[in-house]
Amino acid sequence: MTALAEEKSGISLFIPEVYDIVWSLIILLIVAVFFYKFFMPKFNAIFDERARKIEGGIANAEKAQADANAAKEKYEAQLSTARVEASKIRDDARTEASHIIADARSRAESDAEQITANAQRSIASQHQQALVSLKGEVGVLATALAGKILGSELQDSKVQSSMIDQMIDHMDASNAGK
Amino acid sequence: MNAVSAGLSLAAASEPNLPSINDFLPPEILFQGTPFAINRIILVRIIATIVLLLVLGRTAAKAKLIPGRWQGVVEYGIEFVRDKVVYDVMGEVRGKRYVPMIATIFFTIFVFNLCGVIPGANIAATATVVMPLVFAVWVLIQYWIVAIREQGLGHYLRHELFTPGVPWPVYILLAPIQLLELLIIRPASLTIRLFANMISGHLLVATCIAFTQYWMVDTVNHLVGVPVGALWFVGAAALTCFEAFVAFLQAYVFAILATVYLNLSYPEE
Repeated sequence: MTALAEEKSGISLFIPEVYDIVWSLIILLIVAVFFYKFFMPKFNAIFDERARKIEGGIANAEKAQADANAAKEKYEAQLSTARVEASKIRDDARTEASHIIADARSRAESDAEQITANAQRSIASQHQQALVSLKGEVGVLATALAGKILGSELQDSKVQSSMIDQMIDHMDASNAGK
Repeated sequence: MNAVSAGLSLAAASEPNLPSINDFLPPEILFQGTPFAINRIILVRIIATIVLLLVLGRTAAKAKLIPGRWQGVVEYGIEFVRDKVVYDVMGEVRGKRYVPMIATIFFTIFVFNLCGVIPGANIAATATVVMPLVFAVWVLIQYWIVAIREQGLGHYLRHELFTPGVPWPVYILLAPIQLLELLIIRPASLTIRLFANMISGHLLVATCIAFTQYWMVDTVNHLVGVPVGALWFVGAAALTCFEAFVAFLQAYVFAILATVYLNLSYPEE
């Protein structure tokens, strides 16, 4: 093999060539400048901005949460006062209603009593009137009847009235005797 | 490579075209003889750099607050380097200023390593000794700067070379080893670990592919050749996946060791 004759020894791998040094340094310089001046600052800015945004977002969320909690508490307080008010109104209404009912009942009772009293009064007076007029009519009737029975007319009004009175007394006595 | 393949083309049927270390010493193809000469590996490296800058540059330029799928992948990479490599080792306070450096190291080495399994490139852009070395030297310079800034040179050397709590005769042995460690062994181990991994990865995959070609296509006896070649192909596929993993792993190891070395230059609490 002629090719193998050209094979260099392993040591030559470790002997740097001038152009290799030049190109390695140039490339290292370019790459380092790229990373130091552009790549890392750019991404650090991105990371910082992202962190700031996330922190801001968290702060905003916390504020919104606090606002919501405050609003909720406010509404709950309002709701409970409204509830208390409503129950108060209900109680008032109930007591007023019972007052009204009681009033109405007492008025109705007094009205009824009055009506009853009036009715009794008028019944009593009618009864009295009936008694009086009956007394008169019975007297006349009895006189007429007695006259017919006796065949003689009791001319004398004095006798007549005494007879009637006698008869009524008799009737009263018989009534009382019953 | 062309000389090798020309030499082998006649004997193609009798010998598999196995990879060799010549793959890592390719001839210059542009600007030959100048300090800006370009060979195959450097061409791969330049193209990989352009692709890296274009893709990541475009991602960064169009980066939005709400990431899309690709931006999410890139951000995951950045967060991986920042949180799992730098902050886990150094903590956020110390580590913040080194995130760009470690990100540069991690992303660049990862993309360069991946070239080893990208069809057409087929060689890692980190597969010459100098590329890992410049990264390692960068790390070396950085951790010395950190040490001088944070502790002062005298305190740093006294603490590292004459570690307290050791009987003094041991220092005769320990101090030179420690100095060697700080100056040579750390960058050398970073360099050689990455470089050797890329070489062995390329040799493994290329060997499997060469034998696949040899057994399935070049061998006269196809009855035996095809099943054997199929086995080599399965091996090549598996090793390609493994090399993609190694590409990530070596970038991760390089990045985390660089972070550890930087952290070791800070005074102990």
